[in-house]
Amino acid sequence: MQMTPEDITAIWLSLKVALSATALSLPFGFAVAWLLVFKTLRGKVVLEVLVNLPLTLPPVVIGYFLLLLFGKNGWAGKLLAEWGIELIFTWKAAVIASAVVGFPLLVRSIRLGMESIDRQLVDASRSLGASWHDSLFTIILPLSLRGIFAGASLMFARSLGEFGATIIIAGNIPGRTQTIPLAIYDYASSPSGSAMALSLCLVSVIISVAVLLLHEMLGKQLQRSTDQ
Amino acid sequence: MIQAMKKVTILCFALLTMTALTAKAGELNLSVAASLKEVINELSASYTATHPGTVFLKNFGPSGTLAGQIENGGPADLFIAANTEWMDYLNNKKLVEASTIKTFAYNSLVFTGTTNKKVQSIKYLPKLDKIGIGSPKSVPAGEYATAAITKAGIASQLTNKLVMAKDVRECLMYAELGEVDGSFVYKTDALLAKKSKLLFTVPQALYPRVVYPMALTNKAAQNSDAKAFIAYLQGKEAKSVLTKYGFILK
Repeated sequence: MQMTPEDITAIWLSLKVALSATALSLPFGFAVAWLLVFKTLRGKVVLEVLVNLPLTLPPVVIGYFLLLLFGKNGWAGKLLAEWGIELIFTWKAAVIASAVVGFPLLVRSIRLGMESIDRQLVDASRSLGASWHDSLFTIILPLSLRGIFAGASLMFARSLGEFGATIIIAGNIPGRTQTIPLAIYDYASSPSGSAMALSLCLVSVIISVAVLLLHEMLGKQLQRSTDQ
Repeated sequence: MIQAMKKVTILCFALLTMTALTAKAGELNLSVAASLKEVINELSASYTATHPGTVFLKNFGPSGTLAGQIENGGPADLFIAANTEWMDYLNNKKLVEASTIKTFAYNSLVFTGTTNKKVQSIKYLPKLDKIGIGSPKSVPAGEYATAAITKAGIASQLTNKLVMAKDVRECLMYAELGEVDGSFVYKTDALLAKKSKLLFTVPQALYPRVVYPMALTNKAAQNSDAKAFIAYLQGKEAKSVLTKYGFILK
């Protein structure tokens, strides 16, 4: 195992970015899943397509759109600049990239969890006088915990691997925006870097396996506790 | 059902082996550094006009990726790299025919951008906020740029201003969009820019020469089509196309 201080930073940065992206997306993911499952909306198909779009679009396309949107001349970029927030080429840009790319995975999982909830429970709570937010937080939220957890861990794992969108809006700056995949890309394109690339690949595999194992184990545990 | 699936599988296998065997005479596989895309497209098109029997399969990409593909048995008859490092690497592994290694062209490093600030030479760079540069570990242009700012003695003043991109074209895109004040790119890339202006040419004394070496791979060394094409690439027509795109011949 060979590693430079910059590689260690890349590992920490990857974890930080993946965690922030997941935490940032959770409330939105929950809200969108709830809208899709429990509400009758006009143009639901449009929302559905929009939410799932990052799953099929090439990440490079997403990165380029985000750069145009959050860049100096984009409207979101101008707005943030007025508040003194600089996004492009910082680790926050990597969070945005991961959040957008991983969002569909989160919503899909939460949705599956919500769809398995017995509708009669929700209807019963409402007929007994619970307001919509009461039944949301006391019935729907606890019963979809499994889906939320599954979605969050999947999204976390996906964020760890984000490359295409990140390298466009965050750049590839060692020690600042360089995450594990970007560092591997750097090493793999130089003849002398293969040992370093392999060390980081190993770290990447270990983290991914750990996250997926956790995903499986906690998924089973939660299932057992809801079955009882 | 199972019968039908078996048939489909056999058909798929047959198709796969057929496509694998269709690499026939007259077909040339080119593995070319991405910065030469426009030049090679133009040259291969005019070569086909006079040699209708030759069909080109072109693979453009970063030199390192191309060398890796050749090392792992990817089909390639002619390899043109954007630096000598990768050509030496393949030569050491005896994967290219040493006697066919020639210099195809040279390039030069420039600084291009949309900034309104006064940037007349490399000494003005510390006054800028953000500077685009190819990631020095993987992008040769970034390596040359790093050499230049180090030799000019301004490296420490630029540490927090450098934005590292995955290739030269990404650097150029950042400059075009105004996300950086300016970027280090090759002159040939700067000429393709629409908005950014060429602010200054980096003095050659500050960085090693940018060389594009070319060679035939081992298996193509006896291929007469490949030999004819590499000779054409050293001829008059190739030289005028290279000049047109801003490459340097000597």
